[in-house]
Amino acid sequence: MKRPFDNISGPEMAQWCELLADDNAIHLSREAASAAGYGPHRVNPGPANLSYLLSCLPPEAEETLTDVDAHYAGVVLEGDDLSATLEGERAVLARDGSALVTATFGTKR
Amino acid sequence: MNAFRIPQGRYEITARLDDRVRALSRAKPRVNQTAFPIFAFVGALGGMGLKIKDLSEALGLAFDLGPVLARSRLSFAAPLLVDRVYAVDADIDMLVNKPSRTYGTADHLHLAIRLSTEKLHSTARLHIIFPGRQE
Repeated sequence: MKRPFDNISGPEMAQWCELLADDNAIHLSREAASAAGYGPHRVNPGPANLSYLLSCLPPEAEETLTDVDAHYAGVVLEGDDLSATLEGERAVLARDGSALVTATFGTKR
Repeated sequence: MNAFRIPQGRYEITARLDDRVRALSRAKPRVNQTAFPIFAFVGALGGMGLKIKDLSEALGLAFDLGPVLARSRLSFAAPLLVDRVYAVDADIDMLVNKPSRTYGTADHLHLAIRLSTEKLHSTARLHIIFPGRQE
């Protein structure tokens, strides 16, 4: 199963930061993101990226989920068009074919 | 185990908040009382007794330089449910400074954050990398 996640937006990043009580300026300010080496684009909070992968699971998995192990190899930037691929117990969030977040899911049998 | 103690916090997952997070996550609507699983992460950071910025600064970490998430491990002893208030207990599992190809040196913070009612629901184990300050 493959799903697009297009046009990751700065205002959505601000909402995630509020939910996470996260004041990390790279999520909120293009100047801070640029100073940190990410160019003129705000950086999506990591939990938001993981949430896209969780949204690919079937609804019944929400009650049987036991473990989610996620590795963050790259950052998602404002304006990115992403794809999420779910194959069995593994999901990958990618930009232009490059994996940014990889997650494996454990569920009750 | 680091000796620094993080005060206990609390986090309420309301149905309305779950709806909002599902919309942000582009997820399907809730079908029963089970909250979207990302709340194991959102409730951990959002409900921790110290904001991550304040915790970082108390530990002398360079929060202003833009820390990044390296790994997260969420485990569920029981599903998180909406319209519940959770106690949020956080521990520093490890804090180490290592050489970094990207930053010269980097501080690696490992946190374990549990959400509980009368029983444990979830644990979020987070590995966050902070750029080292250049002297």
